[in-house]
Amino acid sequence: MLQCIFLLSNSGEVILEKQLTGHRVDRSICSWFWDQSISQAHSFGQLPVIASPTHYLFQVFREGITFLACTQVEMPPLMAIEFLCRVADVLNDYLGGLNEDLIKDNFVIVYELLDEMIDNGFPLTTEPNILQEMIAPPNIVSKVLSVVTGTSSNVSDTLPGASASGVPWRTADPKYAQNEVYIDLAEEMDATINRDGALMKCEVYGQVKVNSHISGLPDMTLSFTNPSILDQVRFHPCVRFRQWESHQILSFVPPDGQFKLMSYRVRKLKSTPLYVKPQLTSNGGTCRLNVMVGSRNNHGKTIDLVTVQFQLPSCILSADLTSNHGTVNILADKTCNWNIGRIPKDKAPSMSGTLVLETGLERLHTFPTFRVGFKMMGVALSGLKIDKLDLKTVPYRFFKGFRAVSRAGEFEVRS
Amino acid sequence: MFPQFGATAESLSKASTAVFRIGTDAHLYDDPDDVNIAPLLESKFDSEKTEALKRLLALIAQGFDVSNFFPQVVKNVASQSLEVKKLVYLYLLHYAEKRPNEALLSINCFQKDLGDTNPLVRAWALRAMAGIRLHVIAPLVLVAVGKCARDPSVYVRKCAANALPKLHDLRMEEHTSAIEEIVGMLLNDNSPGVVGAAASAFASVCPNNFSLIGRNYKKLCEILPDVEEWGQIILIGILLRYVIASYGLVKESIMFSLYGKDDNLEVDEQDFILKEDTGYTSEKTLSELANMILQCYIEGPDEYLSRSSSANMVPPKLDVSQFTSCSNDIVKILLKCTSPLLWSNNSAVVLAAAGVHWIMASKGDLKRIVKPLLFLMRSSYASRYVVLCNIQVFVKAMPSLFAPHYEDFFVCSSDSYQIKALKLEILSSVAVESSVSFILKEFQDYIRDPDRKFAADTVAAIGLCAQKLPKMATTCVEGLLTLIRQEYFCGEIRSMDGEDGVLIQAIISIKSIIKLDPPSYEKVIIQLVRSLDAIKIPSARAMIIWLVGEYCSLGEIIPRMVSTVLKYLARCFTSEALETKLQILNTTAKVLICNTGEDISTLQKVWSYVIELAECDMNYDVRDRSRFLKKLFSCNVDSQNHVEEQNSESQKRDQSYVFAECIFGRQTTAVTVPTEPINDRFYLPGSLSQLVFHAAPGYEPLPKPCSLPYIDFDQNDGTANSDSDEDGDPSTSGSVDEGSASDYSSEQSVTASSEADGSDEIDSGNEGNNNVDPLIQISDTGNVSEEQNGGVHSRFGDLMSTKSLESWLDEPAKSSKENETNQSRARRSSARITIGNIRSRIKPKYYTLLDPANGNGLKVNYSFSTETSSVSSHLVSLEVFFENCSSEAMSDIVLIDESSNRSSDPSTNQTPSTTENTMKIHTENPAMVSMEDIPSLEPGQTENRTLLVRFHHHLLPLKLALFCNDTKFPVKLKPDIGYFVKPLPISIEAFRDKESHLPGMFEYIRSCTFTDHLVELNKGSNSLTEDKFLVICEALALKMMSNANLSLVSVDMPVASNLDDASGLCLRFSSEILSNSMPCLITVTVEGKCSDPLTVSVKVNCEETVFGLNFLNRVVNFLAEPSVTRS
Repeated sequence: MLQCIFLLSNSGEVILEKQLTGHRVDRSICSWFWDQSISQAHSFGQLPVIASPTHYLFQVFREGITFLACTQVEMPPLMAIEFLCRVADVLNDYLGGLNEDLIKDNFVIVYELLDEMIDNGFPLTTEPNILQEMIAPPNIVSKVLSVVTGTSSNVSDTLPGASASGVPWRTADPKYAQNEVYIDLAEEMDATINRDGALMKCEVYGQVKVNSHISGLPDMTLSFTNPSILDQVRFHPCVRFRQWESHQILSFVPPDGQFKLMSYRVRKLKSTPLYVKPQLTSNGGTCRLNVMVGSRNNHGKTIDLVTVQFQLPSCILSADLTSNHGTVNILADKTCNWNIGRIPKDKAPSMSGTLVLETGLERLHTFPTFRVGFKMMGVALSGLKIDKLDLKTVPYRFFKGFRAVSRAGEFEVRS
Repeated sequence: MFPQFGATAESLSKASTAVFRIGTDAHLYDDPDDVNIAPLLESKFDSEKTEALKRLLALIAQGFDVSNFFPQVVKNVASQSLEVKKLVYLYLLHYAEKRPNEALLSINCFQKDLGDTNPLVRAWALRAMAGIRLHVIAPLVLVAVGKCARDPSVYVRKCAANALPKLHDLRMEEHTSAIEEIVGMLLNDNSPGVVGAAASAFASVCPNNFSLIGRNYKKLCEILPDVEEWGQIILIGILLRYVIASYGLVKESIMFSLYGKDDNLEVDEQDFILKEDTGYTSEKTLSELANMILQCYIEGPDEYLSRSSSANMVPPKLDVSQFTSCSNDIVKILLKCTSPLLWSNNSAVVLAAAGVHWIMASKGDLKRIVKPLLFLMRSSYASRYVVLCNIQVFVKAMPSLFAPHYEDFFVCSSDSYQIKALKLEILSSVAVESSVSFILKEFQDYIRDPDRKFAADTVAAIGLCAQKLPKMATTCVEGLLTLIRQEYFCGEIRSMDGEDGVLIQAIISIKSIIKLDPPSYEKVIIQLVRSLDAIKIPSARAMIIWLVGEYCSLGEIIPRMVSTVLKYLARCFTSEALETKLQILNTTAKVLICNTGEDISTLQKVWSYVIELAECDMNYDVRDRSRFLKKLFSCNVDSQNHVEEQNSESQKRDQSYVFAECIFGRQTTAVTVPTEPINDRFYLPGSLSQLVFHAAPGYEPLPKPCSLPYIDFDQNDGTANSDSDEDGDPSTSGSVDEGSASDYSSEQSVTASSEADGSDEIDSGNEGNNNVDPLIQISDTGNVSEEQNGGVHSRFGDLMSTKSLESWLDEPAKSSKENETNQSRARRSSARITIGNIRSRIKPKYYTLLDPANGNGLKVNYSFSTETSSVSSHLVSLEVFFENCSSEAMSDIVLIDESSNRSSDPSTNQTPSTTENTMKIHTENPAMVSMEDIPSLEPGQTENRTLLVRFHHHLLPLKLALFCNDTKFPVKLKPDIGYFVKPLPISIEAFRDKESHLPGMFEYIRSCTFTDHLVELNKGSNSLTEDKFLVICEALALKMMSNANLSLVSVDMPVASNLDDASGLCLRFSSEILSNSMPCLITVTVEGKCSDPLTVSVKVNCEETVFGLNFLNRVVNFLAEPSVTRS
């Protein structure tokens, strides 16, 4: 079981520590960890599980904050990692972001949260909705109140009703004037295009996010028109497995507020919404680079926020790149960003220029991989369609809304 | 230019952040101690208290020690405000262990809160009360937990379950049964939330008390999908262990391959594998590897160590009776209830469920785990790594499982290096004929990756693929050759670090492919040789030169070009790097041996040229090699020079020729698929040990199949029947249990006997192994010193279970037998060894009492003796050596206590004075039992006497007077606290037991560095890795025992992945204080690398605090001081 959790800042400073068991862990472990991760960044800095001389360490890195947990005994490593991820998510929700200052500013809340989330090294309450009932998130009102009156308590006086009921994820009896459910399909497309331009891998990872504000204890069913395309699924604990197994229908009592109902994966898709064609020809110490981007507009929706990013090979001395659309930036670490934005209708954006190779080098022999980013509103690239959403056991009417958004995940084009 | 503007901008941004931070606790974190905290704590306003507590919390967060506020904070525990309470609890739990006495003050408040109507208050009070971990209040907490376990609120019951491990941590042996009873009760709870917490309590309190599970098995399975995700992870593991312990493994599962190979069922299994894995040429070795992986699952580290130390011990096969069928209801339910968990949102749950299927599910059903595992890779970066590590083992054991999904292991540019490497390894093992072309195509892209280390790994993976699928080998080699050509064009100009790696790796890969079938790659070798001039990297050159030597007689063309190549090599010999030079020498020798052809004279010229050059080389390795070769080949070369060879073959020539032939002439036999090193360990899927490659403390392998004691089992049935009345199906569960029990009752004897003759009985559940008696006999008679060399190891290695080893260590062999607490003891990830008759090697230290310069030629030395006095336990015995270094005889030498008057004549009777002295002892200062005087001492003569001394004080020297020839010499006898104790031979269990009674303030720890072993290590050059540990153990033990009067209890060896890492080595010594027979326990733990000075931390547990501290200081002092080199 976990013995201690440390939160480290970007510079290795311990922002706070929370001892979980009687076997205290000294802070010096953090400096050991930091030294090691600086000195062996390549092999060690990114390892999530580390055996230090005294403890086993688990690290999860999120937006500049390192969450470090220590144990001395055997335990499922994924449990520790998953828990740390959960802590990071909860803090992110509470503080509206994650950075050193936010954590320092709200350290009392962080302590209180950690105390509720884990007891004696074993996770206690991790359901975000329940936590919000026990410890109020900081918001403008409470901030102002604390300035004006000087008193504010973010610790709830009563136990959330949910922890007593049979549905541990739902507040007992919320009341809303307006009952509404919003369902979002958020999809990420992973694709790999090899240097011959062939689509090696193309798949979509999607999440069904639900924001529900329904009074009482609703029983929902959600069905898809084409559930057979789903290759693999994962569910929120509220989903009844049996219904899915037999009828491929999601049947659940939703938690109150925002939650992630399910995530899924659709494999072996045939095409990508846009194409990126890089060309590199090198000769006599220089290299000619040309990248074309265009949309295969078969969805009828615009493609936004298109970016192309790549790392110039280390053997390149200088680069001179221009584009006919968008801006090109080359950073100090030889990362090149091409910000295209929305793809124009009249022309295909392209970037071209010459790269000067290291002296003595005739031709390029390591080639960069181009990472592509984009966003499409209103389209689920996997083709998954929601059929209908029903509410049982609740008599009144409610408003329901569906949305879909797709963006690029690990979309790579090799050259 | 405009500093004022800069300042404004800065202050503006400051101001804006200040506005943004208003209302948060930012100011508290930034300046926690800018106000006086103490008066705020005393305030009557909750808001001020809150602020003070927040400030304290900020200080804690920043790593300051604010425990001095403890008394004031504790007072606030009575506050009505929940926020104050929460903050106080946070503070209290952080410091309770440091300030136990003040923490006691809060107990009353907790007691009161436990009766509160608000369940939140009750739960918090319980959590805090259990969290402060004080021995004194443990009984109170136990009562409170018992009460809360029946609380109407689920949350409170959950907290009660979480409090149990805290109680268990306090190690209250007398309450164990009460705690376990509560665990059982909570496991039977109707709320899934409570069951989850109870499962985790079970896992840490009594992981082997399977009767608690047996009672509720069905219910637990059914409730499993509703249990909280964290509880699910633990509960899945518990259920799996329970099923294996009571019903055994499943026939249809992969674990069945552990069953002996002499059954016709085996054929089915082979069929299955062959059907699945068409295209695997090396199926045999793969399944062997799989076998080893599976073997590791049920084999503890101790067993493994004892098995591997004995050479080529065949792992014990499992009995067919230890298998059950998939159709068994019990197994069915488990699989049915865990399979929906494969869809869980929590990746740890998915992996745990996959682990159960991996071990229990039939091979056909195994496919179910594949997609969920692959999906896990998309969750978070950190879990992707863990999942890949686990998949890697699954793939090693059963490549067919993941073979169709090879595309999922294609590398993304955003992956970290570790993940890339894992994916490459998986890809090269899942490659089958249908997919290998796609995989190789993908690899071609990777070779162009800017990360050259990754590119080099890819090249290695290509080599592996080619070795596995010989059909692809030619294509691979061609690709690699192209790569080499391309690389050396670039390599010519630049010397980037990674670049060399790719080239070297490419040649290594080609080399290993050539080995498989040398004749068909003749052209490849020639091509490589041609490129020799372009390739500049020494190790790459050396490898190609090796190829020339190795295959110099292969095919048609190579023998013809060899002499030219050698000429070329000889020409550039001087400009080569060391390894290339050595390789040129070897190759020339090889060619010379193999060559029978026409250009022998050219070769010999080249040979003598190279040898001559090498003899004058700067590097001594090269010189040595050349001299050695010259000597070896001298006769050979000479005799071939003279034409009339056949008859004049001298004996000598013959001999050295044979030698040379042996060394250079033979072609290295083609190695088949590189087998995994046998000391690779595998651990259960999803465990921490699996990731760190050693058994983490607390790691337990699967229980021995069907190891649950059957008598217990029947009792369970009884309780199960009475308990499950309300379940409504007592007949089914009962009858199943009984049926199997009657089935197995006859097997008990079989398993027991098989244990006795091979497999080990380090068994958690089965304590009925009193058949260790003969083992003890064997091990006791075994020559201990021989054992060190592994002689006995090989014969009795399999018998060396922990028990026999432990008993070996203890002089009275019975002690471990008497001790039955073995079962409850947590298994450590270390092996225990004996380091033999160390006592005989102890050399006592001599101190000078009087040196001849001061004593008119009388030299008196003394040493502390390990014997204890028979007269009184308060006396320390010393050996005093008198030596006359002068030329005259001496007389009437006597040593007396200065404080006692001179009048007690040495010549008086011995006995009265002794008794007198011992009587006096209790009242007086350091006293000494008088010594027999030495009437006369001739020149050069030595005489020794035993002296019994009572040092009243541990540290101050004792003033004595030495009379010789009626002259008085005042002398000082320095006490050595190391001899104020006597050995206390106890068993390891007794040691742990005593240790657990001496925690907290009776425990002192200090560290020092230890270097003695380095001398020994440097002495022995042929140090095998095990020996390093032994040497350290011996050096440490010797040092300890020659400086203090101790008895060695046990030696724990770490089972580390890193063989040079001595961390975790642990020696335990026990002793008893002479004066009051209080035990004094010493634990020495080593940290650091074998070949470096070690950090040794010494822990002393002793009830007498002052003595303990002094003793510890003494131990640390003598450990740190380097030893005098022993002759």
